[in-house]
Amino acid sequence: MESISFMRKHRNLFLLIAVIVVVAIWKPHAAIYGLQRGSLYSLVGLPLSLTLGVVGIMNLAHGDFLSLGIYFVYLFATNLGMDPLVSIIPVFFLLFGLGVVIYKLTITRVMKSGHLNQLLLTFGISMILLEAMNVIWTSRPRSVYVEYSSSSTTIAGVRFGTYELLYVVFAFAVLIALQLFLKKTRLGQATFAVGQNPQGAKIVGINTGFVYLFVFGISIAILGIAAGVMVPRFAIFPSVGSAFTMKSFCLVAMAGLGNLTGILVSGIVLGVGEAIVQSIPGYAGWSDIVFFGVLIAVIMIRSLRRQSL
Amino acid sequence: MKRVLLVLLVVAVTAFVAFAATPIKIGAVVPLGDITGDQSAKAMKLAIDEINAAGGLLGRPLELIVVDSELKPEKGAAAIEKLATVDKVDFFVGGMASSVHLAQIPVMKRYQKITIWSGAASYLCENAVGPDADWYFHLHPWDYQQGASYGLGWTELAEAYPDIEISKIFLAYEEGGFGSASHESYLVLQSQANQGEGSWAAVMGDYMGVSFKSAALGGGDYRAMLQQAKAYDPDLFVWAGYDADALPMLQQAKEIGFAPKFFVGAPPGWPAHFGDSPLAEGVTLYGMWAPTINKVSPTAEHFWNAYIEKYNEEPATYFAPLGYTNIYFLAEGIKAAGTLDKAELIKALEEVEYASPIGEVLKMSPSNVIKHQGFTGQKILQWQGGEQQVIWPLNLKTAEPIYPFPSWEGR
Amino acid sequence: MKITKSLVIIMLLIAAALLPVVTEAYFISVAITILTFMTLSISWDMMLRTGQLSFGTAGFFGLGGYTGIIAVADFGVDPLVGIILGGLLAGGVSLLLGMAILRLRGLYFAITTMALASVFMVIIRNLNKLTGGPSGKIVYTTLFNYDSVKVYWLMLGITVGTIVVSEVFQRTRVHFAIDSIRADETVAKSHGVNIYKYLIFVFVVTSIIQGVIGSTYALQYGFVYPESSFSAHYLLLPIAMALVGGIYSTIGPVLGAIILGLSSEYLKLIMPYGHLIIYGVIIVVVVLFLPNGVYGAIKDVTGFRKRRLEER
Repeated sequence: MESISFMRKHRNLFLLIAVIVVVAIWKPHAAIYGLQRGSLYSLVGLPLSLTLGVVGIMNLAHGDFLSLGIYFVYLFATNLGMDPLVSIIPVFFLLFGLGVVIYKLTITRVMKSGHLNQLLLTFGISMILLEAMNVIWTSRPRSVYVEYSSSSTTIAGVRFGTYELLYVVFAFAVLIALQLFLKKTRLGQATFAVGQNPQGAKIVGINTGFVYLFVFGISIAILGIAAGVMVPRFAIFPSVGSAFTMKSFCLVAMAGLGNLTGILVSGIVLGVGEAIVQSIPGYAGWSDIVFFGVLIAVIMIRSLRRQSL
Repeated sequence: MKRVLLVLLVVAVTAFVAFAATPIKIGAVVPLGDITGDQSAKAMKLAIDEINAAGGLLGRPLELIVVDSELKPEKGAAAIEKLATVDKVDFFVGGMASSVHLAQIPVMKRYQKITIWSGAASYLCENAVGPDADWYFHLHPWDYQQGASYGLGWTELAEAYPDIEISKIFLAYEEGGFGSASHESYLVLQSQANQGEGSWAAVMGDYMGVSFKSAALGGGDYRAMLQQAKAYDPDLFVWAGYDADALPMLQQAKEIGFAPKFFVGAPPGWPAHFGDSPLAEGVTLYGMWAPTINKVSPTAEHFWNAYIEKYNEEPATYFAPLGYTNIYFLAEGIKAAGTLDKAELIKALEEVEYASPIGEVLKMSPSNVIKHQGFTGQKILQWQGGEQQVIWPLNLKTAEPIYPFPSWEGR
Repeated sequence: MKITKSLVIIMLLIAAALLPVVTEAYFISVAITILTFMTLSISWDMMLRTGQLSFGTAGFFGLGGYTGIIAVADFGVDPLVGIILGGLLAGGVSLLLGMAILRLRGLYFAITTMALASVFMVIIRNLNKLTGGPSGKIVYTTLFNYDSVKVYWLMLGITVGTIVVSEVFQRTRVHFAIDSIRADETVAKSHGVNIYKYLIFVFVVTSIIQGVIGSTYALQYGFVYPESSFSAHYLLLPIAMALVGGIYSTIGPVLGAIILGLSSEYLKLIMPYGHLIIYGVIIVVVVLFLPNGVYGAIKDVTGFRKRRLEER
């Protein structure tokens, strides 16, 4: 993990805010939609950064755990009448437990086998999860109706939806919570150390096995938070989370391993970029290129700045 | 001598009985992992069981062999090969996705078995099959036929209800093959309408099409597109996407305050319990079938009840009655021909008129390229009180249209 | 020993070539699909041996497919020529891109190749006139008019060719260069190995193979379609096959393709619903208990036995 100086972190955030303000003046809707959706990408990308940065696993099942979390929220909502945001709490713990169990059963065994085997393992898990959800719930979309999910407000003559601002709130909240955890708690500092230098951490006496277990569990649990806030706005079907796997990997690559704030910044930048292209009549189909193009550009520029990554 | 004759007679009778009891094999390729393929297969099985219970066809039972296409082209093609060479089926039925069908067509051309296909809407499939394929019967309307039928529908609706005025059309189309084909069809229809020709001549004054990324494929943010629609202020807003887009599209339209006079959805299927959502009221849809058709068609009612009784679930997609139709159409042809001889059977199938649970009578007629096309149009329906009601064709109508689209206030 | 090994290989080749004579069209289709994925898998492994994890397989596969179809449909060339053109275009594109991106390592290289594959798809999807856009494009003259026996023999030839190239890489100077790059680039550089040149060389060769397979596949069925021609299916499955069979070898991907290819088809026939769950379970079980893949496990067992014999 790279160490990030305080000033540099702030510089990126200020830059981001400046960019958003400029875009907001030019294309207000694109700025708002981009901020909202981009925050969602960041919210889903943050836990992957943890898994990849600390545990070192490329979790191809990331998006499928998100889908599973969404179905859990759906079950709480339809069977117990729980508001999706409230059900974040039980789903958080459920997913944490599931992550821990899966880690203990399968991932511990491949920790020594190298990254590719871990990749293949998570690919197998992804397939099992996806197909199991398909068999249990079928591919027919379901939904949970929440009255305030399409509420809107008008500021300065610009009308926009207010629900998706929750994505922004939760993304920042999770980021801050993670930063606090990593800096202020003993377990968090141990996690940070393991991410920086696993061998060194072990020598110093940190129980790396436990750290890996906890981090994996937490990262799946955070997907439960994303699930809860997504359910009122998303159609629920088995592959709903799949697209987020690759997007999250892209965010991690763009931010650089270990750079949690970078995930938030990258997510919002890419979201705003997408939204801008989508608002240009006739060019909506090219918005994916913005996402991937910016990603490639950032990676290439960074690699040119240093000799090799 | 008598004993020899007796033995010969016994042998001959046994052989005849054995042959007569050999089943007529029908091979189906559908995506079992998707609800459309799953229910299509179940509906076909239902039809087969009913026909067998009534004595089979030509004194022989029917056997249905289903292979999953997994929505993958090479798997769909391999499935046809398996059915042809390993199971040695007599007929091919089924289908759903156009891209899978494109891979199957070259394989089907090698075997040239009589094929009754209920899937695939892309005109590319028609071009690939070509005009010489006598053995090919296609039930699902082609994309350009669907577009033309709606023009007729809106024209008749505008005539029948004086306050309905339609002139500006906005199409939101998903950026994949399904949506883009809709957009291309509308462009063709528009150029015809500009010259005063075609079924949309009376109702398409202006047309605008904007693409979006479907929620089913990782998108689901329609707001940029909806803003453009709102600025355009159409009389008819149509979205061509998937079931996953239905509710989010409405939520986001409400959020930005967009309520066109007709809000029309054209996905191949609708989400579970869509009707229960307060946002569904007054949503118009293009479709091939709705449960309310039970009110106007006895076959539809029979199919509905029989399906629920057998499978303990409701048909949720038009591929269910379409699968049932698929089998019965073939069966009617075999009954009429009285033989499995290919040339005779083709002639008989050309003459079949089957009152289908889809609502209308199924009869073959030529389309742009092929000779044997079944359904040529769809219907216009509307969600009212949580149910899909037919508002067009007027002779199959089950309710009056709600117009204009109810405001978002209080929903 | 060497003579027996060559004899075994020749016999396997003859058996493979005679396969269409003894089985029906369905098995030939399955075999063609297995060979398609086998070659993709071998080509991915070849890149892996340099230490670079590439996620671009589906991208070059799709590019090759589109080149082949466009060449036949719009320029009227023979499908066989179309296949060669598919490989050449993929090779050319990979050369240009490779020069830019092969300075990246690890996750960043992987993600960039994956992003590039997606960019190919989006561009092709938007160039309606040339590529048919989102609806895809078809041709009426398919490869050998879908005589599956001839297609099988062509695929077998391409697969054998790929195996030969892979083995050549394993046995010549290229092998030493590649292995040393993978082991430690600093050491390799200090020994005078031009890392960059070798990486580009392997990248271009593997991309050509992927382009050739892509165009063969597309011209067999006579169509391309953006979502399916660039599907992640053609990326993830070959990787899984190489890992299951055993990476850093030629036999590994071959074994993996046969195992996973056959089991996916037959599981489907036995278990119409939920067969993919079993497929996922197979993959998980293999990873957990055979970390070196099937080939690795075989090597371990025979090596173990050899040592036991020697110990006596």
